[in-house]
Amino acid sequence: MRKLFLFVSLIWMLNFSYSQIKPNEKLVYAASYNMSGLMTHIAQVKMETEMMETSKKSFLHLSCEAATFSKWDSFFKIRDLYESYVDPKTLRPSLYKRSINEGGYTKTEKYIFKPDGKTVQSTSKKRNKPETKKTFTVGNSTQDIVSILYKLRTIDFQNYKNGQTKSFVIVFDEKEIPVVIKFMGNETVAAGNLGTKNCYKISIAAKTDALKGKDKNLIWLTADAKKIPTLIKFSIPVGTGQLTLSNATGI
Amino acid sequence: MRQVYLVIASIFTTLSIVFAFLPLGTLGVIPIGIAILFGILALKKSDAKQGKLVKVLLLFAILSLVFVIGKEVFTKDEVVVDKQFDTKKVESKKEAKKDLEELEDLE
Repeated sequence: MRKLFLFVSLIWMLNFSYSQIKPNEKLVYAASYNMSGLMTHIAQVKMETEMMETSKKSFLHLSCEAATFSKWDSFFKIRDLYESYVDPKTLRPSLYKRSINEGGYTKTEKYIFKPDGKTVQSTSKKRNKPETKKTFTVGNSTQDIVSILYKLRTIDFQNYKNGQTKSFVIVFDEKEIPVVIKFMGNETVAAGNLGTKNCYKISIAAKTDALKGKDKNLIWLTADAKKIPTLIKFSIPVGTGQLTLSNATGI
Repeated sequence: MRQVYLVIASIFTTLSIVFAFLPLGTLGVIPIGIAILFGILALKKSDAKQGKLVKVLLLFAILSLVFVIGKEVFTKDEVVVDKQFDTKKVESKKEAKKDLEELEDLE
């Protein structure tokens, strides 16, 4: 009985030592871009989580990769990889990596979040340009662009009122950017293999030229404990698009 | 005016065919729409004898439209296995582990 209790306690402790974000989760999306008024599927986006063990610690590896569908590869091939290594409990990043290859344009970035919680050491390399290194200061709650998507899923929206906001700070392109999310109520959304789900509708506003329009960058999260992103709509300077969940496993 | 409509319809019908074969998805609908619009305008300005070429242009524009819609509906969206990208991901993980261990030594 003691062993059973110990086992149950261990399982309970294990569950609570992580945030809602569990390892081995795999979310697959179809990315569409608005072309001549119609949404055209152009790429597949995969968001995956897995544990990484180092000699002293465990990290949650959050990865987000985008790859164009084969019919687009000869025309404009995209192979983007965004990664973040975070603390499994707090989702605070220790390492952020970005490697993009978009139609031959390449760029790699690496941010090392120093243990002092204030300093980031960045390494950046663009195609045909020398590698640059920079050290800059950040706030101790600054997230990267990948971990913020997961951090969003740890917020309890149940008691949020329409229009209620919450602020974050992210680091992108070696700059800190304030991000404000706004709760916009509940909506029913198609969620791939999960069926149709009641979702929280969240608007994301960031002080950056990368995102355009008011309440045009939206994310729908399932209105349950898992808060799976089912639909993401974005408005960027060159048009609009969306990511629709097609398959979710390991949730 | 008929000549102007005819020239525009011819140019955009040619573009429609090219766009239909390129992997441009629904972007092909733009030249098709313009080709059909100017084709109809040219047809209205044509008499019974002059209408044959315009009808041919319209036929090609409509066939391009059917082809574009057919491709969108029936072509399966697939991502090919990209060994180079897969290798890059594995190497990135190895490099990350090294960076994280170096970071731990600073603590």
